Amino acid sequence: MEVEKGKTHKYLREKREVPETVKENLKHFTRVKKSILESLRDGEMTIDQLTQKLGMPKSEVVFFLMTLIKYGFVETGQIDDMDEYYSYKLKQ
Amino acid sequence: MAENIKTANYDALVIGAGIAGGEAALNLANNGFSVLLVEKDLSIGGKMILLSKVFPTLDCAACITTPKMSEISRHHGITIFTGSEVQKVVKKSENSFEAVVIKQPRYVVEDDCTACQLCEQACPVVVKDQYQYNLVGRKAAFIPFSIASPRVAAIDIENCTLCGACEKVCPTKCIDFTMEAEEYHITAGAVIVATGFRLFDPLKIPRYGYGQYKNVLTSMEMERQLAPTRPFNTVLRPGDGKVPDKIAYVLCTGSRDATVGNPICSQICCMYSIKQAQLLMGSLPMADVTIYYINIRSFGKGFEEFYEQAKGMGVNFIKGKIGKITEKENGNLILRYEDINENKLKESEHDMVVLSVGVLPNTDAAGIFREQKLEFDHLNFVGQKDPLASPAETNIKGVFVAGTASGPMDIPDSILSAGAASSEAMRYLIRK
Ligand SMILES: Cc1cc2nc3c(=O)[nH]c(=O)nc-3n(C[C@H](O)[C@H](O)[C@H](O)COP(=O)(O)OP(=O)(O)OC[C@H]3O[C@@H](n4cnc5c(N)ncnc54)[C@H](O)[C@@H]3O)c2cc1C
Ligand code: SF4
Ligand code: SF4
Repeated sequence: MEVEKGKTHKYLREKREVPETVKENLKHFTRVKKSILESLRDGEMTIDQLTQKLGMPKSEVVFFLMTLIKYGFVETGQIDDMDEYYSYKLKQ
Repeated sequence: MAENIKTANYDALVIGAGIAGGEAALNLANNGFSVLLVEKDLSIGGKMILLSKVFPTLDCAACITTPKMSEISRHHGITIFTGSEVQKVVKKSENSFEAVVIKQPRYVVEDDCTACQLCEQACPVVVKDQYQYNLVGRKAAFIPFSIASPRVAAIDIENCTLCGACEKVCPTKCIDFTMEAEEYHITAGAVIVATGFRLFDPLKIPRYGYGQYKNVLTSMEMERQLAPTRPFNTVLRPGDGKVPDKIAYVLCTGSRDATVGNPICSQICCMYSIKQAQLLMGSLPMADVTIYYINIRSFGKGFEEFYEQAKGMGVNFIKGKIGKITEKENGNLILRYEDINENKLKESEHDMVVLSVGVLPNTDAAGIFREQKLEFDHLNFVGQKDPLASPAETNIKGVFVAGTASGPMDIPDSILSAGAASSEAMRYLIRK
């Protein structure tokens, strides 16, 4: 079968089922990303503030926030007076 | 797959492309021998390529590894298969081994990928990044890490939704979901086993709380936090993003401990912990670092001075055995330990704990050698036929072992061991 370059995912889609867990994982990340980015639209926030707003475990907020920094959506802001916690902001 | 079997012939087959396998391949190729270097990961470089700096010189690990890896990659005498595994090796006669190698599909045509990362930006999926020891996420279309060799994208098919976003943006149209596993039948005159080591899994010691308490890390996670290509902007607690200032190291986690099946010393943990303590004091000048140890084994050249240097910088050393770690509500950790010098039970509070996990054997090579089996020592490392006179020889004539596949050792010793294995292999090949 001749498969068009640039559209080969369609070929594999016919042969392979995408597992439900993979679809769920994508939905979860998309939801968390949207909530974090919407929260930061109002200004810089700490992980503690984001945790309270999103109702997620702190360690998960750290994981997703750091991932959003890695992919250029968020950047690190100021550190507090005790030099303990940073706040985070949308990347301009 | 059977119709598409490819065949090739090399002087030597090297299994595992960490620093030991890479060095052995380079020595052989520099002496005119053709080498097939088979690596199961997506990049060559093994654990070394992911380290921060190296003891006792504190040279940047990437600065040493990267030129070496690019020399290996560019050498016309070395063929590299990444994402590949040797399924079986059979000795047919003296100087003749037959191997079956399976190359898993990367779903990216290596030669055409420019590492532009556009696919990575377009991919909507995020999963844990195994190259950052799960501290941060990565995409399903991804370049393993910035200094990966080859620096080429790959598709994590297990986590891919087959949405096609990556293909749409790829400027060279090199993403190819029609790729399938390839089977190679290889003949080689000699084989070098350089499959390296595994790290002790601290989940096996539940009283340390790893996995349950987010601010208990392994030393490899801390290596990543200290590396220039680190997951965070600085060292942070994964539990809540706090900059830690009281950090504890628990040496011998999973080493010298028969209860977890590893009675021997891992040889590297004391020194890499002392290294990390110095690096932490460099990046967090206000940090207070305490190393809990049973004995400090600083036996190598410059090691004792390195240990003294750490003490001089203010690293605390406590001869103490950790009984249990518990977590406070604020994420801080209480270490209950026996102070060996004072013979007293004590407690101390830290805001981050690093478990200095030990070196375990990788028994991958066990199933590979058919007919004549490869022998392992009583600890499950690849057996050395004569550890004193000829440390690279195994029980199979023509099969040699390099680096930590034969036992715990640091980078200089892995390189020396690779030198021995490649010299022995050359001698064997020349004798033909
Ligand atoms: C936290 C930490 C810090 C360290 N810091 C230092 C330091 O500062 N200085 C120092 O000298 N040493 C340090 N070390 C030790 C150093 O990492 C090792 O000495 C070195 O990596 C050993 O190299 P190796 O090639 O033998 O093994 P590895 O690095 O384990 O490489 C083995 C390779 O073989 C591949 N492989 C495994 N099985 C197969 C298979 N079946 N088929 C194909 N490929 C396979 C693996 O994917 C890997 O690429 C540190 C170790 C740790 C854990
Ligand atoms: S096809 Fe897979 S790898 Fe490509 S963008 Fe979609 S999810 Fe990511
Ligand atoms: S978009 Fe294409 S060329 Fe660019 S990194 Fe991805 S696979 Fe390689």
